Amino acid sequence: MPALACTALLAETVYQQPDDFLNETFSGKAPEPAVIWLSGERKEFARQLLGHRYPSLRVRYWRRNQRSAWVLEEIGKDLPITIGLVINDGLLEQIKVLVFRESRGWEIRHPFFTDQFRGARLDEDNALDRGIDGISGATLSVRAMGKMATLALFLDAELRKQDVAPSP
Amino acid sequence: MSRHHRRKQRLKLSSFYVWHRYMGVSAAVFVLIVAVTGLLLNHTEDFQFDSDHIKSDWVLDWYGIRAPDSMQSFLAGDRHLTLMGEHLYLNRREIEGSYRQLLGAVLFNDTFIVAMSHTVLLLTPRGEIIEQLQDKDGVPASIEQIGIDADGAVIVRTSHDYYQPDADFIHWKKADKDFTRVRWATPSLLEPRLKNALQRHYRGEVLPVERVILDLHSGRFFGRLGPWLFDAAAVLLILLSLSGGWIWLKRRR
Repeated sequence: MPALACTALLAETVYQQPDDFLNETFSGKAPEPAVIWLSGERKEFARQLLGHRYPSLRVRYWRRNQRSAWVLEEIGKDLPITIGLVINDGLLEQIKVLVFRESRGWEIRHPFFTDQFRGARLDEDNALDRGIDGISGATLSVRAMGKMATLALFLDAELRKQDVAPSP
Repeated sequence: MSRHHRRKQRLKLSSFYVWHRYMGVSAAVFVLIVAVTGLLLNHTEDFQFDSDHIKSDWVLDWYGIRAPDSMQSFLAGDRHLTLMGEHLYLNRREIEGSYRQLLGAVLFNDTFIVAMSHTVLLLTPRGEIIEQLQDKDGVPASIEQIGIDADGAVIVRTSHDYYQPDADFIHWKKADKDFTRVRWATPSLLEPRLKNALQRHYRGEVLPVERVILDLHSGRFFGRLGPWLFDAAAVLLILLSLSGGWIWLKRRR
């Protein structure tokens, strides 16, 4: 009878705690969190972008004026990568790997890669306005980071739509 | 070379050829298994062998996979929240993700609030995850119980204090109330039909198809002697290629 071996090694590397990321982003005074619901078109957009449902129906964000911060998770190959994003007036200001759990693809945390996203925005098709050069051996992590950048920019745009929505 | 010597050579070649054939037939079964499983393993992602699971009872029995007999279950509203291994179920529907230490569940404003030691899960009645709240989201550490207070609000008891969330479950604060009137969630028994259905479902979510193909490929599927059997088949294949080459050379001369 064959033995069912559990070989999953949970090698979690925390590069920065989400709380520290938020404090750093807002100079030590992170605003209160708020939530945006992934329902209707938002849910469908996330599903098409990710190729699966986002794991929760609501997403937390932290926002002051036109600057918002997001902590999102997406699976690279097997395990979720926690990514911190800052968006300022519709432009991606910062993207950072906070926690990495996959066995390969960790190179996406380096600035030589993340700097490509700086200043990115969504085009009229809700896609990133630029191509992102990949990293050999880290294709799935690169893809996950691109998806999270797109999702955060989309959700931030949804918030800004609410700002200008006429009052009933 | 004499006629006698040539005859002797032919006989030698012919007996070698017979051996070659027997080796070929013996190795054929193994070659088929290794070749077919090898082909399948090259396309595990295309065929989703890594995410699909074996449902066949006899294969699961062969692997010794059994559903846990003990499980934690809480009745919230008219639904059961049940933890079996690391699988959480709302009645028969499995909730995405893996979980540990189910401590209680309550129904609040059409939302199921499920407490685990460091996590609180908010679920829709359809079993969709609204949000999984953790320490970083302000959830109190070391939750021991969850319940509904006399005002109909959610309350949790930790090893030190009592806490309550706001209406959106964004902030938690210490509670200071009459705790004697709290209806704490208590474990409940599962009816046998639901228990059997969950055990069947659990078994069918444990063994990936890829694992079985890998074990067939290496011979481990056939037990402890399997890999040795496949080693022997590999040696046969080596001999087969050598004898085949030798016969071919001899016939050319």
